[in-house]
Amino acid sequence: MNKYVLGAMTMFCFLSAEAQQKPLPRISQFADLAATVGNAEGSIAGSYIYNWRIGKKRKWEAGLGIRSTSYFGVKKDFITAPARLSRSFTTPFAVVFAGQKTENWDTLTVQRPFINSINLSANFGYNFNERWSAGFNIDLIGFSFGRKSSAILTSNGTTRTEGETKVPAFNVLLTGDNDYGSLNSEFFLKYKIAERWGIRAIYQFYFAEYKTTTIQQTAPDGTAVDRFRNKANTLGAGISYHF
Amino acid sequence: MKKIFFIFLAAAFFFAGCSKQNEAPDTKLNETIPVDSTTGVMAKYAGNFVKGPYGTVTGDGKIYLQDGKYVLALENIVVSNGPDLHVYLSKEVQPVNFIDLGKLKSTNGNQLYAIDGVPDFTVYKYALIHCQQYNHLFGSAELK
Repeated sequence: MNKYVLGAMTMFCFLSAEAQQKPLPRISQFADLAATVGNAEGSIAGSYIYNWRIGKKRKWEAGLGIRSTSYFGVKKDFITAPARLSRSFTTPFAVVFAGQKTENWDTLTVQRPFINSINLSANFGYNFNERWSAGFNIDLIGFSFGRKSSAILTSNGTTRTEGETKVPAFNVLLTGDNDYGSLNSEFFLKYKIAERWGIRAIYQFYFAEYKTTTIQQTAPDGTAVDRFRNKANTLGAGISYHF
Repeated sequence: MKKIFFIFLAAAFFFAGCSKQNEAPDTKLNETIPVDSTTGVMAKYAGNFVKGPYGTVTGDGKIYLQDGKYVLALENIVVSNGPDLHVYLSKEVQPVNFIDLGKLKSTNGNQLYAIDGVPDFTVYKYALIHCQQYNHLFGSAELK
């Protein structure tokens, strides 16, 4: 992981050094198709982005978009989702730095996860020059649907079959493990190969969620848990068409 | 440009379409039935396999004790192949509470599966051949 971050920072510094000759257009509007792969999992995402360029030289941009992500995998482990059980504290934003309470984690191995999520997204970017840019985007709110799948719930060494897990319908970003549902986010580096076309290298972080229907985890505090989350780290590529 | 787009699209569908069926080997196995050093060969529990709703299984399932450790022996077993077949000890014929003894080693022959600890065989009384990925029961044997 560290080598990816180091590589991205090196590229950032290198590209920052390049001078920009003329201001970029005020609006950046594009459609994008992306595919990523990971360990026995992958995703395909299509999105439409509308960004406003800001700053004197219009190097920065931010805006909103809509993104459809299809995530699929085989035998993926989903961990106890509620933040009050999975993390040492749940303060919004700070939760990402909270310790992991692994003693509360149970594992739901979903045999054939397949989730389609359609979410509103927030998008941020920096244009190094007319060809190179980098950015980050994250899903905010939306809905999901997908395949019901059998699963195995492993809890304190015992294994039970869940005949039918399902995809929760509602997604919302509440930061870290406070999130509900399935949400996509990406770090990317983009190169414009032509006036209207660009290609992207992508690191994707996807929160995927499944719910049990017949069996539940009994948490140490006695509550029943039916929400389980997989955090998928994948790498991929994308292609963008600028309007 | 269109060419690049369609190549990308084709690659995306290729990745999406990949699926690993993961069937069991069909090489006939002949693993040795354990001989207990003090009591000789004697099954503690045994039963005949009957077919489940999916696939067919014939042969016997037997629990042996060898030097303090239990093993499940599948003897003269013949299983119709399928994806992701596992051997379970289960409380129920359709497994809800179960112990996964591992993937099916072969679709036929004699094969042994180590059992961790000492489960209550009057509770975990079914040996199952189960397709884990699709939750399909291929066959079961009640061990008595």
